Amino acid sequence: MKTLLAEHLLTVLVFLPTAGAILLLLLPRSAAGVAKVGALTVATLECVLSLPLWWHFDTALRGFQFREAAPWIQPLGISYLLGIDGISLVLILLTTILTPVSLLFSLTHVEKEVRGFSIAFLILETGVIGTLVALDLALFYVFWEVMLVPMYFIIGIWGGNRRIYAAMKFFLFTMAGSLLMFLAILYVAIKHHAATGVWSFALEDLYRLTFTGTTAVVLFAAFALAFAIKVPVFPLHTWLPDAHTEAPTAGSIILAGILLKLGVYGYLRFALPLFPGTALRYAPWLGVLGVIGVVYGALVAFAQHDMKRLVAYSSVSHLGLVVIGVGAFTTISLQGSILQMVNHGLSTGALFLLVGVLYERRHTREISAYGGVAGIVPVTTALFLVATLSSIGLPGLNGFVGEFLILLGTWTSPHRWWSVAAATGVILSAIYMLTLVQRVFWNPVTHEENRRLTDIRWSELVAASVLVVLMVWIGVRPNDVLDRLRVSVDALQQAVANKQLVEAQVSNPPEIAKGAKGEAP
Amino acid sequence: MSTSLILLTHADWLSILPEVSLAAAGCLILLLEAFLPSLRRWFATLALAGVAASLYFLMAAPPGATFDGRFETSPLTWLMGLFLGGSAAVAILVAKPYLERTRDERGEFYALLLWGHLGVSLMIRGLDLLIVFIGLETLSLSFYVLAAYFRGIEASSEAGLKYFLTGAFASAFTLYGIVLLFGASGSTRIAGLAQEGLAGRPAVILGVLLLLVGFGFKMSLAPFHAWAPDVYQGMPTPAVLYLSIAPKGASVLVLFRVLAATFQPGLPDRFHAAVAALAVLSMTLGNVVALAQRDAKRLLAYSGIAHMGYVTIALAVFGREALAAAIVYFFAYLVSNAGAFAAVSALYRDETKPHPVAMLAGEGRRARFASAVFALCLFSLAGIPATAGFIGKFFIFKAALERGMYALAIIGVLNSLVSIGYYLKVVYILYMRDPIEPEAPPPLAFADWLALSICAAGIFAFGVFPASLWRLARSAAATLPLPGP
Repeated sequence: MKTLLAEHLLTVLVFLPTAGAILLLLLPRSAAGVAKVGALTVATLECVLSLPLWWHFDTALRGFQFREAAPWIQPLGISYLLGIDGISLVLILLTTILTPVSLLFSLTHVEKEVRGFSIAFLILETGVIGTLVALDLALFYVFWEVMLVPMYFIIGIWGGNRRIYAAMKFFLFTMAGSLLMFLAILYVAIKHHAATGVWSFALEDLYRLTFTGTTAVVLFAAFALAFAIKVPVFPLHTWLPDAHTEAPTAGSIILAGILLKLGVYGYLRFALPLFPGTALRYAPWLGVLGVIGVVYGALVAFAQHDMKRLVAYSSVSHLGLVVIGVGAFTTISLQGSILQMVNHGLSTGALFLLVGVLYERRHTREISAYGGVAGIVPVTTALFLVATLSSIGLPGLNGFVGEFLILLGTWTSPHRWWSVAAATGVILSAIYMLTLVQRVFWNPVTHEENRRLTDIRWSELVAASVLVVLMVWIGVRPNDVLDRLRVSVDALQQAVANKQLVEAQVSNPPEIAKGAKGEAP
Repeated sequence: MSTSLILLTHADWLSILPEVSLAAAGCLILLLEAFLPSLRRWFATLALAGVAASLYFLMAAPPGATFDGRFETSPLTWLMGLFLGGSAAVAILVAKPYLERTRDERGEFYALLLWGHLGVSLMIRGLDLLIVFIGLETLSLSFYVLAAYFRGIEASSEAGLKYFLTGAFASAFTLYGIVLLFGASGSTRIAGLAQEGLAGRPAVILGVLLLLVGFGFKMSLAPFHAWAPDVYQGMPTPAVLYLSIAPKGASVLVLFRVLAATFQPGLPDRFHAAVAALAVLSMTLGNVVALAQRDAKRLLAYSGIAHMGYVTIALAVFGREALAAAIVYFFAYLVSNAGAFAAVSALYRDETKPHPVAMLAGEGRRARFASAVFALCLFSLAGIPATAGFIGKFFIFKAALERGMYALAIIGVLNSLVSIGYYLKVVYILYMRDPIEPEAPPPLAFADWLALSICAAGIFAFGVFPASLWRLARSAAATLPLPGP
């Protein structure tokens, strides 16, 4: 039993939430309390089961670990291939931690259709973990799309006033990108079949293919668009503020904390290693869009009156920073970007959670409706302050390490000025976040009803504390995370460099030489 | 040759038993209706038994061509027969509670449905265009009557008349096409079209084009689709369920047969362009117009028009892989579309009124099972992964990309995006609006529950484990002389 679990740990992690969801489906509808607690139990169990990944992860090993392989749609060579490296490892743990945290928060705050809410969350978790562990493109695509359906329901049923618009926009935007990626996946697999005579959608088989010229550009664009919409990279970000603002608190935590990262993850796992030459040739554009995202997101965040919308735009800004790190493509900036994804998941998750705490008591997210509540809800204030400081990169907390690595790594890349622009984003984030804290928590009390606010409950406190503890831990011991990223990032860079050489050789024949070489760095 | 038509051999009899059992079951039900109407509640069971018997005989019939090479028994007819039988079975299951609800359960309904089903079976098995045509007409006549089943309701009579007038027109096209092909090849057999040097003759091109129009009408392929929304709206829902699935599959198979025989190495360029244009038109028109629909049945009609556009991509790609892809697509379409119509049948209470989508508001919280399956079917029709609909699109687009038809594939996926707009709108109305109907819908009948469960199970089965269906479709497609591996 124990070995069976150990050998199929990833499968268990992927399908345990679905199994839990099916069990909940069998419950009578009236058993709302049982559904809540049941979902939380499953998510917690999932979190516990994911910890062995962290302990037993071999930090020296290149390539994927905890592999599992089984045939799935044999005639097409589509297989059930799972495995993780450092990059997926940290995001999986982020997922298994944020899911119970958001369910714990929802324990006292979701009253409508509780069973459906719990089921949607569990299915969403299956989709996310599946996306992160799939090493077969067809399998990856299935999980990637399956995520959309529960999120659509979460926003559309349990969301705010403009939830329908937000849910539809979220679904259509994401779908628009993925459908073209779907054709690109098919095309790549067909080319593999044409080249080798064997059908395969396995990532490592497809890595061996070389695409050059216009084909590579079109295919890369199809992949990159799907991931850029998910991140979202400016100017494809417009679905994000709507979706984040309208989603219920738990939905926002998952959306900002995890789903956005899958865009960057997809870029690093698929778009970049499949088409390295093209990806690096267009990396400067990516970096520029990242820079615009950082500054634009920060400026727009500064202008918001709605706390949740402010945090949502701050995500655009922070993810811009991550994109800069990926675009710079140095070892340090990549490590920084991946770490920063985790950091952003923790800090934004905590911010959404604490905004949710205030909203559930006051039923408004208008910044001007608050003021001076620090004395009334001291614990909430303290937690919010820690999350804010983490978000703006105070040394000693996690945000600082990630931002510093990105800035440092980018400075050593050919695109030094991105660092400068990115640094202004860090300063701007301090301005809008501290202003938010001041207007909500300090300043004099202007609304009498705020005097009757109750402080955080135990379930909310536990949920927020988990995140705060992790913020401090990563801030003090970032190497615990970075050690697990080092080899994977190195392997990624090595693979990209090797394949660039192959691409250069392939495109050397005179008829296609012009398109592929260009101004490759 | 003339004697062989009269002196039927044992093999001939064995091969026609599936159709005989359908005809017999229909006749029996009609007689019982006249003489023993008290047995009415067993009619649906009897009809299901007829369908089951026909499937059994189809499986048991020895493979090969009978009736002097005019009638086919092969893996292809068996797989397509299973597809047709599945649609008939779900339609009968849905019809039972539907007719009880409308207090209008009569034997004619089941008899006509079975005879229509008989006609469609002849279409997929006929190797002679006349047999195909007889099948087509048997189907059409039965469904003209079924469309006008509710004599007292204006919409139903209108549907019957509209379907009859336009259908007769389309039949004339088909017949004229057959005549031209007969004139050119000297035979009504499909295999007769394979003669050397025939493919380029204007009469043959025109004949095939006319068949494309005639069967395009049955498929409700744009621009021959105009009847579908009106007819669907007025026709009893279980009959629409069958009409929106089975005849379309049979028509596509007939077109594949005719094209495979006529154009041996592959479609000529101009013909290919024409078929591709039909595919693009049907997808785009169906999806865009569906966005504006307020009536559930009209919406599904336009969604069906769009889906026939996707299938027509397979026809444009042409080849063994493409036929296999089309077969898989039809199985996916069967479970998704049948489930959607079954849900429509279960969710609406008053058949004398139209079926606006808005009436379904909030049903997701009351008629839970029917709504959940409806939503699942809509996601499948939209092609979301892990459902059958995704697998169908997967194989169609794969076939198109393999042949280098990138534009068709890109237009196809962009159309899928448009379709999500109206499928999600229904899901939104089901789950995210408050009910407007004061009364909760009546409890789900067992037959409805069974039909919905079968469709939901099919959507997941084909969506998650499509390998065996694909293998079956591949070996079935090998029956036709199509190019490809």
